[in-house]
Amino acid sequence: MRRSRLTLLLLWLATLAALGLFVARYLTVSTDLRSFMPAPTTPDQRLLMEQVGEGPGSRLLLLAITGKSDEQIAALSQQLAVTLRKDERYAQVLNGSFDIGTLDDALLPYRYLLSPTLDHQPLDAAYLRDELEQRLDDLSSPAASLLKGLLARDPTLEVLKLAERWSPPKSPEVVQGVWFSPQHEALLLVLTRAAGFDPDAQAQAIDGIHRDFDALPDHAGASVVVSGPGYFSVVANAQTRGQAEWIGRISTVGFIVLLLLAYRSIGSLLFSALPIASAALAGIGALVLLFPQVHGITLAFGFTLLGVAQEYPIRVLSHRRAGESAVESVRELWPLLLTAIASACIAYAAFFASGVNGLKQLAVFTVTGLLVAGFSTRYLLPYLLPERVHDVANMGWLIRARRFVDHLPRPRWVPLLVAVATVLMLVFAQGPFWQNDLSALTPLPRDLLMRDARLREALGAPDVRYLLVLQAPDEQGVLALSEKLEPAVDALVARHAVDAVELPSRYLPSEALQRARQQALPDRDALTHALADAEQGMPFQPGLFEPFVNDVEKARNLPLLTPERFAASPLGQRVSTMLMPRDGHWLGLGTLSGVHDVDALQTLARDSGGAVRLLDLKGAAESLVVDYRARILHALLGATLLLVIAIIVALRSVRRAWHVLAPMTLATFLVLAVERVSGVEVSLFHLVALILAAGLGLHYALFFERDTGDAAEQRRTLHATLVCVLSALLVFGMLAWSTIPVLRAIGLTVSLGVAFHFCLSILMAPHARQD
Amino acid sequence: MTSGSKTWTLLCGLMLSLCANASAPEDAATARALVASLGRPAPASTPFAEARFMKMLERPLVVSGQLAWLGGDKLERTVERPTREVSTIADGEVTQQREGRSSRSFSLKRAPQLQLLLDSFVALLGGDASRLEQAFTVQHSADGADHWTLTLTPRDAKLAQTVSRIDIDGSGNEPHCMRMQEADGDVAIDLLGDYAAKMPATPTRDALTVLCRGS
Repeated sequence: MRRSRLTLLLLWLATLAALGLFVARYLTVSTDLRSFMPAPTTPDQRLLMEQVGEGPGSRLLLLAITGKSDEQIAALSQQLAVTLRKDERYAQVLNGSFDIGTLDDALLPYRYLLSPTLDHQPLDAAYLRDELEQRLDDLSSPAASLLKGLLARDPTLEVLKLAERWSPPKSPEVVQGVWFSPQHEALLLVLTRAAGFDPDAQAQAIDGIHRDFDALPDHAGASVVVSGPGYFSVVANAQTRGQAEWIGRISTVGFIVLLLLAYRSIGSLLFSALPIASAALAGIGALVLLFPQVHGITLAFGFTLLGVAQEYPIRVLSHRRAGESAVESVRELWPLLLTAIASACIAYAAFFASGVNGLKQLAVFTVTGLLVAGFSTRYLLPYLLPERVHDVANMGWLIRARRFVDHLPRPRWVPLLVAVATVLMLVFAQGPFWQNDLSALTPLPRDLLMRDARLREALGAPDVRYLLVLQAPDEQGVLALSEKLEPAVDALVARHAVDAVELPSRYLPSEALQRARQQALPDRDALTHALADAEQGMPFQPGLFEPFVNDVEKARNLPLLTPERFAASPLGQRVSTMLMPRDGHWLGLGTLSGVHDVDALQTLARDSGGAVRLLDLKGAAESLVVDYRARILHALLGATLLLVIAIIVALRSVRRAWHVLAPMTLATFLVLAVERVSGVEVSLFHLVALILAAGLGLHYALFFERDTGDAAEQRRTLHATLVCVLSALLVFGMLAWSTIPVLRAIGLTVSLGVAFHFCLSILMAPHARQD
Repeated sequence: MTSGSKTWTLLCGLMLSLCANASAPEDAATARALVASLGRPAPASTPFAEARFMKMLERPLVVSGQLAWLGGDKLERTVERPTREVSTIADGEVTQQREGRSSRSFSLKRAPQLQLLLDSFVALLGGDASRLEQAFTVQHSADGADHWTLTLTPRDAKLAQTVSRIDIDGSGNEPHCMRMQEADGDVAIDLLGDYAAKMPATPTRDALTVLCRGS
């Protein structure tokens, strides 16, 4: 007997180890929020999903270097920019220093097609004369050394005009050659390749920045701070994970102490952990088999919901009688336990019908977990448990507690009163019912937000909420539309409706415009003549401007610059992020900085006749959450119906089913009502927590409803339920104290739920009234 | 015998000048004393006339105006002829303002010539020999008359790649000329103070060098 127990234990542990290895080998966890979101249905939602990850606004990191003299941090800014530009992880690095390298040598002749000069000014003798006179002034000025290298190739300084055009629309003050904030920080803008709301990828990008900075020779004493959506997603993630972990550690210790106190057996405690461990591993295993990637949120929600399964071994332990083997105890308990397992599975399986990938995963994980936990509790655990146990039924305090519970007054009007109070509270609660802003659940420290706003303002970095969306049949159409929009947009900027607008055509003119500029370029003879005329009486050496003449000649015969051709350069990649194909047409994105007048922008969009739209990413995100919630609620409705049928079938009595379902339903709505009255806005996380609480409440009601006619057995039921309630209160009560709303939402809801379910199950238990 | 003594005198003179050129310890002290004597309280301003000889130009560019030290690391260069333009060097920034145009500014880092101009000018006007020696190796030479030349070579190897040396000529405690020799062969010669008025209509390098040497 002893031997076979050891064999079973070893076999079980070996299976768990094998599962663990399998999971560790094949599990890929995704942190990208988008894979947990439902498939977008409206065009705005689809764009949002892309923007959330790929949009230039969300991939932009704002950097500030402080801590040393202006001169030293300016040097650090330059060195950091040079290092980051070499790094694959960053698509664009700007720090305010004009770098002629932004247009590499091969693209340099394109300056005549990219710069607007030729739109209103032919390269004739008069214009060249004027420019050359200015250059002479420049040469005798302190700026001479800057121009010397440029003059022969670019006497009209087209490169500088482009640099000016391409620098951010509202750029910060330049001190020591780099951007500075009024607070004497050197500022940089870094565009990551990683998606903005993929915290892991962003963490790597941000880590890389810190590492590169720390590797700079003179970094000691200075520090770099990072801000932006990517950084926030990292902070929120780390914060939530950090608090969840330390709360988890404390409550685990409390949980173990509680179980030791309740059962006074280390062996029982250790063995009862096996079904839960099996459940978790089997759940993940099923996910690995069925899905290529598992979402981090699925796992977090899943482990929360799996809390129900902890009850199975507890029930077994509490219901053991002196002199009876564990197998016999379980056999007696099994029909009820099976009902509990089946009903929880039905509730969780409803998530599968939601059609959302993240929730489907959640359903697979929890249902697999519950089944494994249930069946291993029934068919494996009893064979491991110690032969002799301490029967809880004869403990003095438990006898007194049961007597107290049995003698509680149970007037029939109690449920009615609670129901009426619940309805009243729900009706009269103030404030919005739903919380649609998911970011409100992981709020960021105020100083981080203030710093972000300050840096964003100083850098003129684009707003992450609004986007202008330009639509045309093809890429060139988008660029042409963007060009057409420029005057209207400039007018808006002049009216201070918005601080700045960055349109794709700012970087790349349409082919039509490029062609017009190309045709306006003079041929070699004409240019040589014009130049000779212009140079009359000027001291320039003959032949000095030969490189200029060559470049213009080259520009006349260049193939037009397309987004693909441009994409080879860093700036071209900037353009690529602003243009995207969609369902047979093309979209262009215009980023906005400092939006003051949303109505004016909406008017601009309306006047375009549908070609231009103002996308409110926050609005689109919230509509997505609303969709999401609707799916969960539908799934829940289905689950409730199934649950009612299942309980009726299992108990073979509508009346008994009513005694189980009524307290559970009432308690669930009571939680909702109490939270609403306390001003809590209900979010997705509250819903998930309510479902868990309902699952636990169903257990309490099922067991309390069971009439064994045996006082000792009733005491054991109370014991088991008390252990379950206390352990749930311990784990989730701790979460309720968290400072992070998402953890608090789950903790508070489950704690309240457990308390209400327990009280109502006792008060509404039918047979106690017979006393 | 006479011829022999003449030779000796010549030789001696040659030796002396050689001694003067090889900056002996007492020479360094002389240079420091000289620099100290050049100092004047801020704000100090002086007229200037500059001729810039550049490879890309057939003729030099000539401008004139006022050069002012406003104290600290602030210099203001006001060009009055041929077109009015004010350039300010302050806090590591160069700001240029030209009539009828918006001002533009750039970092001093990108104009090493200006950095050196600032270093030498501020050190000289401040009479700050140690600052001067921080940025340059200083050589002092004097000829028979009151005339002297300070030759400044940038210590920073990178700066030396653009400006190979600056010669400052003067007499008594009055600098007359500043000649900036750029590494690419271009030269800017600034006549200062009373000398500013002596800029010829068509200056040449040689004529200006002779003028600066005070002969």
